[in-house]
Amino acid sequence: MRPEVPLLTAQARQLRRDVFSMIHHCGDGHPGAALSIADLITALYFKVLRVDPKNPEWPARDRFILSKGHACPVYYAALARRDFFPVEWLPTLRKLGSPLQGHPVMKKTPGVDMTTGSLGHGIPIGAGMAAAGRLAKLDYFTYVITGDGELNEGIVWEAAQSAAHMKLGRLIAFVDNNGWQSGGYIKDVSGLQNIAAPFAAFGWHTQEIDGHDFTQILDAIELAQAETERPSLIVAHTIKGKGIPFTENDNSWHKRVPTKAELASALDHLKD
Amino acid sequence: MITAMDKIASTREGFIAGLLEAAAADPKICLVFADSLKAARATPFTEKYPDRWFDVGICEQNAAAFSAGLASTGLKPFFNTYAGFITMRACEQVRSFAAYPHLNVKFIGLNGGIYGGEREGVTHMVFEDFGIMRSIAGMEIVVPADAGQARKATVAFAQREGPGYMRLGSGREPVIYDDSVPFEFGKARVVREYGTDVAIFAIGPILKRAILAADALAREGIKTTLVEVHTLKPLDVNTITGVLRQTRAAVTLEDHNINGGLGSAVAEVIAEQEPATLIRLGLRDVFAESGDAELLFDHYGMGTPHVCDAVKQLMRRK
Repeated sequence: MRPEVPLLTAQARQLRRDVFSMIHHCGDGHPGAALSIADLITALYFKVLRVDPKNPEWPARDRFILSKGHACPVYYAALARRDFFPVEWLPTLRKLGSPLQGHPVMKKTPGVDMTTGSLGHGIPIGAGMAAAGRLAKLDYFTYVITGDGELNEGIVWEAAQSAAHMKLGRLIAFVDNNGWQSGGYIKDVSGLQNIAAPFAAFGWHTQEIDGHDFTQILDAIELAQAETERPSLIVAHTIKGKGIPFTENDNSWHKRVPTKAELASALDHLKD
Repeated sequence: MITAMDKIASTREGFIAGLLEAAAADPKICLVFADSLKAARATPFTEKYPDRWFDVGICEQNAAAFSAGLASTGLKPFFNTYAGFITMRACEQVRSFAAYPHLNVKFIGLNGGIYGGEREGVTHMVFEDFGIMRSIAGMEIVVPADAGQARKATVAFAQREGPGYMRLGSGREPVIYDDSVPFEFGKARVVREYGTDVAIFAIGPILKRAILAADALAREGIKTTLVEVHTLKPLDVNTITGVLRQTRAAVTLEDHNINGGLGSAVAEVIAEQEPATLIRLGLRDVFAESGDAELLFDHYGMGTPHVCDAVKQLMRRK
C-alpha cells in the first residue's frame, strides 16, 4: 500500500461528509454522482494536482475540469478543504449571491478552471487547455472527470478524435464508470459498456481501474503522465453513492436531498 | 442592381489581412478551424504562424468548446468557419462556454446571409445568426460592409475583451468604401445625408443596395439619411435615436430574417425611446433558395426598388 493512502482515505471521508451536509442544507443536488467521484477528486486535489490555492490563476498550474458538473458539491468541498476558499462558504451552495453555483462556474469560484454543467464538454475544453499549454511551452497536465452516461453526447467523440489526432499527451480524462445515468442503468438506457474500446480506437491510451482504490488511482495517473503522445483515458469503475450504505448503487440518490435523520446516519457512518 | 462593373473583393480575405495585422502585435491571437482553413482563405496566416492555428476537423461544437479551452488560458482564439454552423450547430458551446465565462473567443462566421449561401442552398446560408447572437449576454456583433472594412473591423475587434461574433460573406462582396475610410467599433456611420424625410438603416454588404436606393431617391427629390449599423451589438443607440428624432420614419435593410436582426433592434429603439414608423426589409420569415445572390435579393424583396418603395410608403404615412 502506498504510504499516503490512510490520509487520502480520511480526506475522502471528510469530503463525503461535506457533500451530504451541503446537499441537506441547500435542499437540492446530486449526491450519488458526487459520492461516486469522491475518491478520484481526493486523489487529484490532495496528492496529484500541481496547484497553488494562494494563486489560483497561476499560469503553469495543472488544470482540472469537472465535466459532470452536477457532481460539484464534492469539487467545492475539495477546493474548500484545500484552502482555495473558506469552508464556511460550503453551506451557501446554490443560494442567491453564493460563489458556489448549482454547477461550476469559473471566475465565480476560486480554483474552478472552467464552467461546466451541460454534459460532454470536459474533454473538448480540456483539449483546448492542453493544446494551449503545449503552445505556451508549459508542462502542466489537464485532468478531466467525465461521467459514463455523459459519453452519450456526440461532442465527446468529436473531441476524442481530435485530441488523439493532435497528440495531446498531457490530457488525462477519467470516466466515472458507475454504470448509471439519470434514467436508469446505462446498459438499459443507452448501451455503451466497453468504454475504453472506442477511445482506444481513436488512438487514446486507456486503462481500467477500481475508482475507489487510491493505489490503483495513483498508479494509473503516473502511467498516464508518462504517456507523452496519446491522450489518456482512465476508466474508473465506481459505485454511485459510494461511502454511505443506504445511497450505494441506489439511483434514487441521483438527485435527492437527505433528511435530517439520513444526514445524521450518514455522518455517523462516515465519522473518523 | 449590382453589376459586373462593380469592384468585388472578399470579406474573408479582408478578415485574414486584418488578423495578420493584429497577430503581429499580439502573440496570443490564434485561429481555430473546423476543416474550414481553405474556406476561410487563411493560408497567409497559417504559413506565417504555423504553430498558432488548430484544426479539429468537421465538428463545430468541438471547435467552439476547444476555443473556450484555449481562451481560458489567456489565448485569443478566432474560430473561423461557416456562420450557420457556428451560430446554430455550436450555439450552446458559444453561449455557455465562451460567452457565459466571458472568454476572449471571437467567432468569425463565413457565408452569412444570402450573400454567403448563393448557389449552395439554404443549409449553407444563415438568416438567423443576428437574432441568435444578439440574445446572448455580452456577445458583441460586427458585420463589415466590404473587404476593406472587414480588415479594419478585425483589427478593432481583436482589441475587444470578451466574446464576439463577426459575420462575413462569400468572398464576392462589392467594394463600398474607399480604403481611407476608418472603422470605428460601436459607432454607426452616416453614409448619406440627403435630408430628413426618412432614415434608412442597413447592415453588411447589402448596404450597397441601400446606397443605390438613397441616391436614386435623392434624384427624385426624396431626401433620406442612410446609416450603416456595422456594430449590431452594442448598438449605437445615440446615433440611431438622433436620426429618428429628425425623420420619425425608418427603413431597415438586412441580409437576415426580419425577426431578430437589425430591424428588430431598431424597432426596440423606436418602441422604447424614439417613436417612428418603420418598415423592415429582409427575408420575411421564409427560407431563401439557391441562386445568384443579387437575383435572390431582388426576388426576396431586398432590392434597391424595394428600399425606394418602402421609403415612399413611409412618406405617404407622414
